[in-house]
Amino acid sequence: MQPKLSAKAVCSDKEVGRISKVVVDPLSHEISHVVIQGRNGKSGERQVPISEIREVVSEEEVVFRCSSEDLEQYPLLDRDSFVTVHDVEIAHLEDNLHVEPGEVLVPLPRLEREIPRRMFFANMTHAIGALITLPLVYPVLKYLMKPMYQPYDNSWFQVGNVNKIQKENVGYQYKFTRGFKEAFMPEQEIEKNIWVVKATPEIQEAVYGGEDKKFYDNKGDVVWANKATTPFIGFSGKCPHLGCGYKWRKTKNYPDGVFLCPCHLSIYDEAGKVLDGPAPRALDVLPMKVDAGGNINIIDIEYKAGVKGQIRLL
Amino acid sequence: MEGPSKVVQEPSPFEKVVDFVDERVGLKTIQAKMLNEPVPGGSRWAYAFGSCLLFIFILQAVTGILLMFYYVPSTDHAYASTQYIIHEVDYGWFLLSYHFWGSSAMVVMAFAHMSQVFLWGAYKKPRELIWLVGLVLFGIVMGFGFTGYLLPWDQRAYWATVVGVEIMDKTPIAGDFLARFLKGGPTPGQMTLSRFFVIHVMVLPAALAGLAGLHLFLFRKAGPAGPFRGSPAEIKAKTDYFFPRQIWKDIVAMATVFLIICSLAFIEPVVLLEKATPDPGDYHPEPEWYFLFLFQLLRLKIFGGEFGQFLGAIAIPGAFMAFLAALPFIDTNPERNIFKRPVALIGWIVVMLGILIFTVSAIINREFLH
Repeated sequence: MQPKLSAKAVCSDKEVGRISKVVVDPLSHEISHVVIQGRNGKSGERQVPISEIREVVSEEEVVFRCSSEDLEQYPLLDRDSFVTVHDVEIAHLEDNLHVEPGEVLVPLPRLEREIPRRMFFANMTHAIGALITLPLVYPVLKYLMKPMYQPYDNSWFQVGNVNKIQKENVGYQYKFTRGFKEAFMPEQEIEKNIWVVKATPEIQEAVYGGEDKKFYDNKGDVVWANKATTPFIGFSGKCPHLGCGYKWRKTKNYPDGVFLCPCHLSIYDEAGKVLDGPAPRALDVLPMKVDAGGNINIIDIEYKAGVKGQIRLL
Repeated sequence: MEGPSKVVQEPSPFEKVVDFVDERVGLKTIQAKMLNEPVPGGSRWAYAFGSCLLFIFILQAVTGILLMFYYVPSTDHAYASTQYIIHEVDYGWFLLSYHFWGSSAMVVMAFAHMSQVFLWGAYKKPRELIWLVGLVLFGIVMGFGFTGYLLPWDQRAYWATVVGVEIMDKTPIAGDFLARFLKGGPTPGQMTLSRFFVIHVMVLPAALAGLAGLHLFLFRKAGPAGPFRGSPAEIKAKTDYFFPRQIWKDIVAMATVFLIICSLAFIEPVVLLEKATPDPGDYHPEPEWYFLFLFQLLRLKIFGGEFGQFLGAIAIPGAFMAFLAALPFIDTNPERNIFKRPVALIGWIVVMLGILIFTVSAIINREFLH
């Protein structure tokens, strides 16, 4: 039978108090002491070895060998020298110990008592952890960012010949393939497309506003300027709304044809101006030159979609 | 009357092994604690969504690992290796299609799970943290959908990513960095594929597994919320343990989900479009169906222009998620009965109808474009 915590503690002569706590050996898992709380709570708590117990009369009563006077020789409980089982991890304790709710104490190891620099050790642990982490942050960021920012590609690509354009102010699609070299990969051919309009002077005016359109490289130097009076105007195939590919289409509302993007239904006229839909800016004019033989050459610029101004990406 | 004397049998070798392990690991205690979870008010079919999510995730992990036996995450091989899985490898089409439809099932189930928790008022004190971790898990599920979509490297994959990344680019301050970080360069290419691949197969699964564990731990810590009606005495009278009744309902629900995903994989197996290229050709770019409502939202004129786009693509979805995160702290009324929370009920109906209407109109627009 196992006594309850709060069982009566009776010495050889008289009742002395109640059992308030038990002390467990952390290695053997055996109860080594019981703590007796004196009657009326006045005489304090005394730590009595388990060997003094003569008999467990019932769950409610424990009889000790010693007299009540002998009991006085046992030390008062020094509570700070103990931790509760909540504060310490002891494997399988519950398999050996069946106690009713109450306080079960475990002696604090001698080396753990009175460590004045406990907080210092905690802080040092964090500091060393941080010292391990911090030198990694910059290399890891640089490692991941390696391909993110690259100089613009200002090379020219031939995309086709103007002789396929028959009507003025109508969009003609030019598909072309270009080499694309990325990091360690072998150069790959990718398919792209642009739209070319043979513009009447009014449309040229609408696109250029009478001024030559200049294109810049990373350093801000001018790479090329489109003359404001060139009849052939090339638009990037990337929709300035969110980057899909748009088409020249005739619709019910626009029987003469417009540029229409099927993604989010942005509509642009032959000058690239937004007629309808969510696009924030007009179609992007590309740097373009047409040689004597009518061959169209462009710089394959890409701008960021979804913003009012042109921010060059490629 | 004396019965026949009991013969004390020697434990079998199997029992000995079990006892050996149990003594060191505490298996029987763990098992008992796992199964003997009291379910207030008794088991219900409505509680099966969470278990179904876990089930779908496990099968996504299994099919995903299997797909990686053949898949090559490079721009010159991703498309060919996916086609090889579909057309050449035995049952490759099935595993890929299962994985594809499993992702849709995951999103549907996450919606159902969140709706149930919302309608039952189960996000309220003391379950705020379970709800918050759940929202992060929802974000991870969406991240899975977005990153996995690119991997086959066909036109559908490419264009969904182009538009998706452009949308992220509109995040204030960090947007440009975020978009470049995901693309691994100014335009989508090999670096994008590598990044999406590693996020899809390493980063997100680790995050999901860890957070799902935390989600379950917090759930067990707080205990199930139980029904929102009934007196404590009634609820107590109907209470049973997680095993066997709830587990039975869960396994039946999982089997149903499994059959549905398998059927979809058979009826609509994955078919790739042309290999990805920056020229969309005749393809009309469109995201996966569960992003369609957002896609349609961005077609509206009021969400046009630079600011409108920020509003539609970032601010409104962001504010909605922030609102969901703040919900348990705003709504501190302990009343859980949905029929006594009219604002919550109407709000839920409005959101669901909104998503439905925008999704349907995106599908109608699709017809109009052809």
